[in-house]
Amino acid sequence: MDDFEQELKQALQRRPAPPSLKRKIMERRGLLSIERRHSHWLLWQRVAAGLLIVAVLGGAMQWKLHRDEERRQGEEARRQVMIALRITGHALNEVNAQLNRTHSGDE
Amino acid sequence: MAHDWQLDFEQIVDQHQSMVFSLALRMTGDRGLAEEIAQDVFLELDRNLGKIEGPEHACYWLRRVTMSRSADALRRRRVRGMDLWVDMDEAHGVRDTEKHSSPLGARLEHLLTTLPEAQRAALVLRYQEDMLPEEIAATMDAPLATVKSNLQRGLKLLRAKATSHLREYIRGL
Repeated sequence: MDDFEQELKQALQRRPAPPSLKRKIMERRGLLSIERRHSHWLLWQRVAAGLLIVAVLGGAMQWKLHRDEERRQGEEARRQVMIALRITGHALNEVNAQLNRTHSGDE
Repeated sequence: MAHDWQLDFEQIVDQHQSMVFSLALRMTGDRGLAEEIAQDVFLELDRNLGKIEGPEHACYWLRRVTMSRSADALRRRRVRGMDLWVDMDEAHGVRDTEKHSSPLGARLEHLLTTLPEAQRAALVLRYQEDMLPEEIAATMDAPLATVKSNLQRGLKLLRAKATSHLREYIRGL
């Protein structure tokens, strides 16, 4: 390193930072930390709200499926009762006809 | 855990604020801007504290990011068409005689500000931070040959400017 370079090295010694620099950094760091915590809290709030909506929608869907299934089972039971009534009616008609025929044979 | 990090961070700020501020100041020539850059660099370090492997890595990281942020600030100013360089004496708010032992040393810092950005960056890292060309190349993400060339050209140009300035100074006496 020649004289000129030594002189340059001397001229380019580190300057002391402004006394307020560290304080400003720590203040901004504190504010950023609060903002970060706030945004985390908001995020969790949104996640919780999302989960609640999903749960409500899921419950509603489940309830609708359950109601549809009950209605379908009710329809099926009604159809079976109607068939049973029709069969019974038909059997009674048969019996009635049989009785009528027996009566007319006796006379 | 958070308390430990805070202690580490404060310690890093204490240790390196002068380096970061001086690098930004010599790259931008603006004390206010240098202070802003230094704040941003340390806050970015805080966000990346988990990735820092040790004190040496922190120093390397700070140098690298400071040079990068300073280059960004200069680019933004160029785009805005603002005056790039504030007079160093005016910007520092301190008279040369209070800072430097010789008239040449006092003007060298000012003359440095007239060099092209890449040459200035190489010279600042070489003579302020006492870094080797290989280390400068790693910090600047530049080929070693480019760094060596910037150092040689910058030094030559600065020497020529200083000689011319000294001639004028002697003539003025």
